[in-house]
Amino acid sequence: MILRRAQYELAGRVGGPFLASLDGWKRTLRARGRTPRETPFGPPLESLRKLKEIMTAHYFQARYADGAVPVAWVTSGFPVEVLRPFGFHAVYPENHAAMCGVQRLVPGLSDAVEALGYSRDLCSYARTDLGSVVTGQTPVGRLPRPDLLACCTNICQTVLYWYRALADHFQVPLVLVDTPYVYGEAKPHHIAYVRAQLEELVRVAERISGRRADPEALAAVARKAKEGTDLWADCLATGKSRPAPWTGIDGFFHMAPIVALRGTDTCNDYYRMLRDELRDRAQRGIGGLREERHRLLWDNLPIWFAVREVATLLATRGFNFVCTSYTNAWAEAGSRIDPEDLIGSAADSYTHIILNQDLPNRLGILRRLSREYGVDGAVLHSDRSCKPYSIGQVDLKERLAAETGIRVLLLEADHSDPRAWSREQADNRLTAFMESFE
Amino acid sequence: MTRKEYIAQQRDRHGRKSIAVLPIHYPKEVLTALDILAVELWGPPGAPRGEGAGRIQAYVCSVVRNALAFLSSGGADAVDGVLFPHTCDSIQGLATLATDFGGWGKKSFTFLHPKGPPRESSRVYLEAELRSLVRELEPFAGRSLEPDRLAAALRLHEEIDECRAALLDARPRLAVADKELYALLRRGEWLWPADHLAELREARARWPAGPVRPGVPVLVSGYVPEPPALLEVLDAAGAYVGADDYAAVGRRVVRATNLAGDPWQALLARYWAAPPCSTRSADHGERIRHLGALLDRSGARGVILHVLKFCEPELFDVPVLRRAFAERGVPVLYLEGELEAGLSGQVVTRVEAFVEMISAGRAA
Amino acid sequence: MIAVALGVDVGSTTCKAVAVDGKGRVVARRVEHTDPRIEQQVERVIRELRDETGAHGAPVGATGYGRKRVPAARALTEITCHARGAFAALGRAGVLVDVGGQDTKVIRIGPAGEVVDFSMNDKCAAGTGRFLEVILGRLRVPFDQVASQVARAERSVPVSSTCTVFAESEVISLVAGGEPLEGILKGLHQALASRVAALARGAPGEVFMSGGVALNPAMVAALREALGRPVQVVEEPQLVGAHGAALSVL
Repeated sequence: MILRRAQYELAGRVGGPFLASLDGWKRTLRARGRTPRETPFGPPLESLRKLKEIMTAHYFQARYADGAVPVAWVTSGFPVEVLRPFGFHAVYPENHAAMCGVQRLVPGLSDAVEALGYSRDLCSYARTDLGSVVTGQTPVGRLPRPDLLACCTNICQTVLYWYRALADHFQVPLVLVDTPYVYGEAKPHHIAYVRAQLEELVRVAERISGRRADPEALAAVARKAKEGTDLWADCLATGKSRPAPWTGIDGFFHMAPIVALRGTDTCNDYYRMLRDELRDRAQRGIGGLREERHRLLWDNLPIWFAVREVATLLATRGFNFVCTSYTNAWAEAGSRIDPEDLIGSAADSYTHIILNQDLPNRLGILRRLSREYGVDGAVLHSDRSCKPYSIGQVDLKERLAAETGIRVLLLEADHSDPRAWSREQADNRLTAFMESFE
Repeated sequence: MTRKEYIAQQRDRHGRKSIAVLPIHYPKEVLTALDILAVELWGPPGAPRGEGAGRIQAYVCSVVRNALAFLSSGGADAVDGVLFPHTCDSIQGLATLATDFGGWGKKSFTFLHPKGPPRESSRVYLEAELRSLVRELEPFAGRSLEPDRLAAALRLHEEIDECRAALLDARPRLAVADKELYALLRRGEWLWPADHLAELREARARWPAGPVRPGVPVLVSGYVPEPPALLEVLDAAGAYVGADDYAAVGRRVVRATNLAGDPWQALLARYWAAPPCSTRSADHGERIRHLGALLDRSGARGVILHVLKFCEPELFDVPVLRRAFAERGVPVLYLEGELEAGLSGQVVTRVEAFVEMISAGRAA
Repeated sequence: MIAVALGVDVGSTTCKAVAVDGKGRVVARRVEHTDPRIEQQVERVIRELRDETGAHGAPVGATGYGRKRVPAARALTEITCHARGAFAALGRAGVLVDVGGQDTKVIRIGPAGEVVDFSMNDKCAAGTGRFLEVILGRLRVPFDQVASQVARAERSVPVSSTCTVFAESEVISLVAGGEPLEGILKGLHQALASRVAALARGAPGEVFMSGGVALNPAMVAALREALGRPVQVVEEPQLVGAHGAALSVL
């Protein structure tokens, strides 16, 4: 156990960063001798190297986590601030699934669980994760076995069905934070329910980790989470500059720490660095695009397996995504955290994330982002396997266009399964959309 | 009498308000106690029509798409309010879409029942949520919820469930076609409970239990027995529904009786005692045990999983159920419906092939 | 050569009929494109078989999409009939993969020729013979040249669209983009094979293939590759259903 723990620490502090630097060298060597391609994008962010190092270390360290520290598999909207003080290593299956999506591994993984009877119409993150668990295939070497599964239904109810399948497979406890949906205003008894579940969570965390809840530790993590959230918000806010100092795809990739490392120093140090770089670029007029002609808003999850394709298609004509409702969600999730009352404020904060609130609230967010970031248009990704994010988009499209005067496109795809996507159709739609601006 | 006429009659003769209720689980006893008629909205079947038809993408289940189209087109104008339970992400979305973005202009209520296994927090919450719903329903109903009215409503619904359970359990010995039995049971989705009870009692008298009927019994687990043609095809092929785990029917038959003295506690106990359902995220073990008991009691030789396309809660349970039945050596037919108005030739072939297969002496 | 039973498989693409002798062996056969006026076509085909084999009083078993529109002594689903026909031809248990014009079936046949389990892909054309038919038609590749062209392919050009209609556009772009036709054909076959294999993957045992698509050696090879298991084509693969139907009234 002690040896395992030592391995775990070493992996995080030394092994991971070393691997990442190796990877960096490989890329540099490969890039040498190649003529620079004509690119519509501005110079890449320096911080990207650090991001890769952090995430490589995170996953490398994860390989040594089981047996060293208590391991929790956690949903992206889960109040992880309540788990971290107990020493849990948190794994984010959604983040892992996004990686699988980018690397186009989803069809194979999904086939494996479809053979077990899971429908292809189910959430592609769930199919990817269950497929990875069942086949053992993963692009990150190895995911540690969980000691605890922690799911919060604020992003969707599907996570509960998904995590129950994981609980059946791993035979470990599943702790649920069920957040009733907010129609208008959250009722006091709804928040009280979430609060009570967080208190139950604390007791489960104590039992599994063998540590007592320490108010100091909880407050410390809460402070870090709040700070991280604010720093991420600062990074996003630089997108208001003209030109925006980074692109929409950058945002999707750079959000990994606020999701998977929220409440840690690593996360906050990173965003301080990123924020400073972005502010510097904004000041010097260096844009994410060489020539920014039109500014767009993106709604819903990214199309992970085609992120670069879509961004490049748009960038070639000077279109940049300067804000997204998805990256923005992480600037809001932890914003109400109060270190003086972590449990109570987490109950409030996590109940009010974008996907757990009604459509008028969603429209308000899209409208506000459109206005604050000065966009000319918006693309609403009609994500086939994410119903909570996609239901209502037909109306949102009409209303957003009517209220703001911007042009809005509804684009059919999926967040990680390329089989639900027709490249020709999408290119056509996006091109026609762009032409409508000329 | 059409449903619309019945609703109007209830209002005119008895002064009863009515509420359209989306599937699946809701506190019907409370509505009864407040003298409100519940009219359940299981579809309607067929392709969504009218202005509301295109507002929800095609990859969302037909219940929700059809419901929005129906509400938007004025189909539910005969009722005074709509109640949305917290069944799943899609119904959750429908509740805000219809109410906030157009499609339903009258009163809207929600019943956000807890998910997951019963815990202290969810028990406390359920009571709070029910009391909150009651506080909203009282002004709508024009009366307050008196304990003795609630107690009477509970007794009435207990009796109804007892009749429904008796009919379903005696099914193998009833000389009645599935189509007729289900037509009767499904009237409970919109009849005033006392009227439904009268019909159930009358049916029990009309259909006494006789010898075991001919044909192969099957267990059907799924959403709703729609279209009725499915039952006819089963019948023609030589099979019948020996055990029911339809969300619209069997999953809401509460068998526990004489629950607690205090009506509120009895109401809560009834909620927790209902058969396991994926939309209340019932534990898999519980669901498998429940279905196993149904298999044993009915002697069903095969299982039909009649799920609704895009229904996430049910679809996540399918592999678990398949595995459990495979372990028991019980064949499974998987039918994915979309609330179509009629059956396609392909579906008919599948059902017939399945019945041919299980009729050929294959042991359960 | 007196036949004692007749079997008709009225599919939506093709109409097949056989006459069998007392031992259940096929002694006469017909395969035609299904005419919209099914009843008349079946009546004529049955009459022709009766004349050919002298089986004037022989009972008729019917199966297939149009089975209920045929006056027959027995009408059973294609599942049951394909299992019977395949078992009669092979004499052993296994997994029968039948890829037809408009549907694909996987039937687990037990040691006594009984149907143990089955699954069908009948909602989406992309997993059926229609997929190839549409695209080969568009590319103007005659059926008898397909296998040799695929065999000549140096590499396979993947066709990723899951929908027949989108796949058609994708293939047109690939051709326009200068990709070799043989490679595209190979990719098409692999795409169909992988969808068919997905239906069959879980079923254990020997794999047999029937249906019109089994007459395409390239498709058989692609299915073998996709499954990673040997695939044996049932003799007279298109007639398996009709054969089973005849046996059901024997």
